[in-house]
Parts: sequence; C-alpha cells; structure tokens
Amino acid sequence: MAISEFSWNKYGSQAVLVDSNGDRLKLSDDVLVSNIRWFIKFRWILIAGLIIFELLMLFAAETLAKLGVTEQQNWPIAIIAILSLANVAYLYALDRCPPSKYNSPTMNLWMQIVVDLICLSVVVHYIGSTSTPISFFYVLHIALACIFFSARESLYVTILVCVMDAIVILVENFLFTQDSLMTLIKNHLTADSIHRDGALLWMFFLDILFFTVWYVVSRLSLIVRTHERHLVDAYKQLNQAQVEKDQYAVLMTHQLKSPLDAIRSQINLITGGYCGDASPGVMDALGKINHRAQNMGGMILDLLRLERLKDTCLDTAIFESVSVKDILQKCIEKLIPVANSKNIALNLSGEDFNCKVIPDQLGILLENIIANAIVYSHNNAVVEISSTINRHDKSAAITIADHGIGIEHKDLPNIFNEYFYSPRAALHNKSTSGIGLSIVKIAAENNRLKIKVASEPGAGTSFTVVFDEIELSDAQSEVLET
Amino acid sequence: MMAPRIAHVDDDSDIREAVQRILCKHGYEVDSYLSMQDFVDSLRDDKNRPDLAILDVMVESMDSGLTTYAKIHSSYPQIQTIFLTSLGDMIRPYFEDGSHEWVCIMEKPVEPISLLGIINDRLRMQGEAAQQG
Repeated sequence: MAISEFSWNKYGSQAVLVDSNGDRLKLSDDVLVSNIRWFIKFRWILIAGLIIFELLMLFAAETLAKLGVTEQQNWPIAIIAILSLANVAYLYALDRCPPSKYNSPTMNLWMQIVVDLICLSVVVHYIGSTSTPISFFYVLHIALACIFFSARESLYVTILVCVMDAIVILVENFLFTQDSLMTLIKNHLTADSIHRDGALLWMFFLDILFFTVWYVVSRLSLIVRTHERHLVDAYKQLNQAQVEKDQYAVLMTHQLKSPLDAIRSQINLITGGYCGDASPGVMDALGKINHRAQNMGGMILDLLRLERLKDTCLDTAIFESVSVKDILQKCIEKLIPVANSKNIALNLSGEDFNCKVIPDQLGILLENIIANAIVYSHNNAVVEISSTINRHDKSAAITIADHGIGIEHKDLPNIFNEYFYSPRAALHNKSTSGIGLSIVKIAAENNRLKIKVASEPGAGTSFTVVFDEIELSDAQSEVLET
Repeated sequence: MMAPRIAHVDDDSDIREAVQRILCKHGYEVDSYLSMQDFVDSLRDDKNRPDLAILDVMVESMDSGLTTYAKIHSSYPQIQTIFLTSLGDMIRPYFEDGSHEWVCIMEKPVEPISLLGIINDRLRMQGEAAQQG
C-alpha cells in the first residue's frame, strides 16, 4: 500500500506600516509605539551602564584613576534618577493612561527626545563640549527624529539640538572658566586649552554637521516612506482587485450556471409529472441529461469555491473553535442523497473533539473527501469515517476510508495538483473535474492541516486529516455515531 | 380558507414558469415578478401582500435580492422569505453572522418536492408565530 503525506505552508501578508497625514508622511502609531518600547528598553540598558560605572567608581576608583578616569561630581547619579523616572513615566503614559491629544505616541516620543537632549546636554557640559567628541552623540537624536518624525518635526529637533549645544558651549566657554569643569576622560584633547573663538568655530561647524545630517537622513527617510506609501496604495488596490475578482467570478458562475438550472428546472417539471405523462424512454433520457447537467453545475460552483479558497486572507480569516462532530454531521446530511443513490453506508465512529479552524472551510474539506470516497466506492459498499485523539500530544485525526477503486501508486503524488486527471478515475466517474482535491488542498493549507493518503488499487483509499493542535477538555468524551 | 399567496421574483422566464406550475398545481396563488422593483412596488397595496416571497439574488444587479430582502425584513417582517439562486450557499458570505442560521437559501434548479416542503415549513412557522403573537 502506498502512503503519502501532504502539508502546506502559507505565509500571510505584512501589516500596513504607514499613515498618510496630508503632505506630511510619518509612521503609523503602531510602529511608533513599538519603537517607543524599544527606546525605553535601550534607555534601561544605558541606565544600567551608568549604574555599573558608578559602582566601579565606588569600589575601584583608584584603578579607574590610573586609567585616566576620574569623577569629581555626582552628575551620573542625577542622570540615572532622571532617566529612570522618565522611563517609568513613558511606560505609565503608554500603558495606563487613556490616549488623548496630549498622550499620543508622538507626544511620548517628543518628551523622550526633549528629556534625552537635556540629559545629553548635561553630560556634554560635564565631559567637555569642545574638548571631547561627546557632542557628536547629538547626531543620534537627529537621525532618530528623521526616521520617526516628519521632515518638519525632525527639523525642529535639529534646531533644538543646535540651541542646546550652543547653550552648553556658551556656558562652558563664556560663563565659566574651562578649568572649573570636571572631565571624565583625560586625553590630549583636554590638555589643550581651547580659545573662545575656537569654541565658536567648533559650534558653527557642529551646527553645519547637524543640519547636513538632518538634510541627508530626512531625505533618505522621505524616499523610504514614499516607497512605503506606494506599497500601501498597491496593497489597497490589490484588495480592491480581489473584491472585484470575486464579484466577477460570482457573476460568471451565475451566468454559466443559470441556463443549466433553467434546463434542469424544466426537466424536473417533466419528471415530476407537471407536463403530462412521459414514456419510460423519455424519462430515462431526461434522467441522463439531468445527471450530466447536475455534474456540470457542481463543477461550476466548485470553480468559484476554489477561487474563493485561494483568495482567503489568513490575516483576516476568522478561526473559531468548532466541534468536529457537528461539522461531520452537516457534511453527512448533505451527502446522504448521493450515498443512498449508490446504496453506500456512511459509518461514523470515534470521539468528538474541538479544534480552531475556519469552520466553513473545514466543512468543505471534509465534504469533498467524503464525496470522493462515495464516488470512487463500488455500489452497496461502506465508507468509514473515524476520529482518533492523541491526548499525549494534543493531536487528532479524522480518517475517511473507502473500499473503492483505489489510486495508482504513480498517481498518488499528483492527486492534489489542480485539474489532475487520472484516466482510471475518470473511467469510474465520468464527471470528474479534477477540482475536488485541489479544494481540499487549499482548505488544508488555509487551516494548517496535514493530510495523509494511503491507497491500494482495487482495495480502497483512506484519507487522514491530521489536526496538530486540538482543544482538550476533561468533560469532552462524546462519541461520534451515525 | 384562502390559498396562501406566494410572490416569486426571477428574471428567468423558465424558472418563473416552473415555480408557477408547481405551486399553482398545489393550490397556491402565485404572483410572478420580473424585477425586484416591481415586487417592492406591489407591496404598497395591502391586498397584494404575499405570505411568502421567493427571491432570486442577482436580478437587476448583483445584490438586488439581498437589498430587497433587507427592505422586506425591516418593513414587512411578517412576510417569510426564501432565496432561490443558482449560487446556492455561495451567497452565505454576504449575510451578517446573525442571520446565518435562519435565512433559507435554496439552490436552483427548482426541485418540486423540496420547494413544496420548504414553503410548507415556512408557512407553518409563520402560522405558529401568528398564533403565539
């Protein structure tokens, strides 16, 4: 007996990232919030670094002094306190306070930037604004503002940076003497005294650097956001096209199937005796016409079903917890007329279980497999539908087994291919369209189910639908029965 | 006792004829309409109001049957409504979840036995509801 196992993975599309706000392009609140949290984490790391530095100062001051690092004042403690309080406040505003005009992700980010800039300015002041490269850390804030804010808002941040840097340089060089300032790192830069003219020149060049960075990064950021916006527009157009495609498919299905339905309605009038008596030969011929038209109508609906299943968007599809027993019973109710026409018994056994699926799609999947089992069974046969639960790994399986014509070993790997046509199967079922198992495949893919197929030509086929994760409750031990 | 009155809206004359033949033979009074608008207009007259309406879904537009159904359901809740459409259950996604269970959708072609069965069931339900009311 040949056995094959099939499983399919489908990846959902990415969420939309950008909001369009008039002529200003900026990131959506969701993206801002996730980055705010990242900044807060980053700040905690910085605070931890400062605390370690302070501890080293306490316990290994002499060693650090030998390395040239000394501390004369307690500014790191103040920075630790301010940043910690601010971090707690940001988190509180984000998680506990209701969103409002004054408590938006943008406002939160603005507060972070302003507080960080003040803290950085204090650090720059104590370390040395013109004697060390610490002022270059301002660039980090400008770049981040360019990424997360609109170009105009990031310009405000750049101006703010220039003002703060100017204040620090002016205070350092014009209000106090250089000697009175504490230095953290003693290197050759601090050894040289910097003249006031030099400080002004330094300030001037730094401002030029800040504005250049703002210009370059905000331009790049704008280009990226424009592309993102195009993506969003394309995504919307794609969704719209999807809706139109479905409408077109529905319209075409309707137009194709309507004439068949009219023909079959008229046939039903004759066979129902509404148009007088008809001879047995006519009734027999009408029966055959009706049967072929019925298969064709079913195939047309299957095409629409297949298209719809393919278009299922996993981001929006609703997964619900359903009882397998309920779904199986609905399928069986639908298929009983077909089974009765071949005198086939549908035996249901096993335990009921609940699983999270797209309910309609699981119904379509099982209905197609059971319908196939009926179609490819010989008359007066039995189709066994059974469920097994593995409580150990919370998995379950539904097996649908027939004793019909079976599948050739060479055909087995292809049965789920769209429009796959097996002459042997077609001989048994003249109306095969090759769509049924494609529908099963897409439904399994959408519902993250695996399917095992075991078959022996002439002996029968069994399809096993594997549910990797089911919902187990102690109370649930209902038995499936027909 | 008056014969139950059935309104049937479909733009396909063969389907209209089939429904009319079946229902008339079983004693129903049938009013057939070519368009939803004709049917909605007919409802203005109290005397014309049917006990049950059989609606196609795609008549003048893709969803005219659904919009007419919504109108009838809000303005004339006493009229039972059945959909008879080529698309069968494929129109289910167009309904809101709440109405999923009680909207009756029949797939064409017209099958005399099942059509009569469903109409009888619906009219009986209507009668029981009227008695309780």
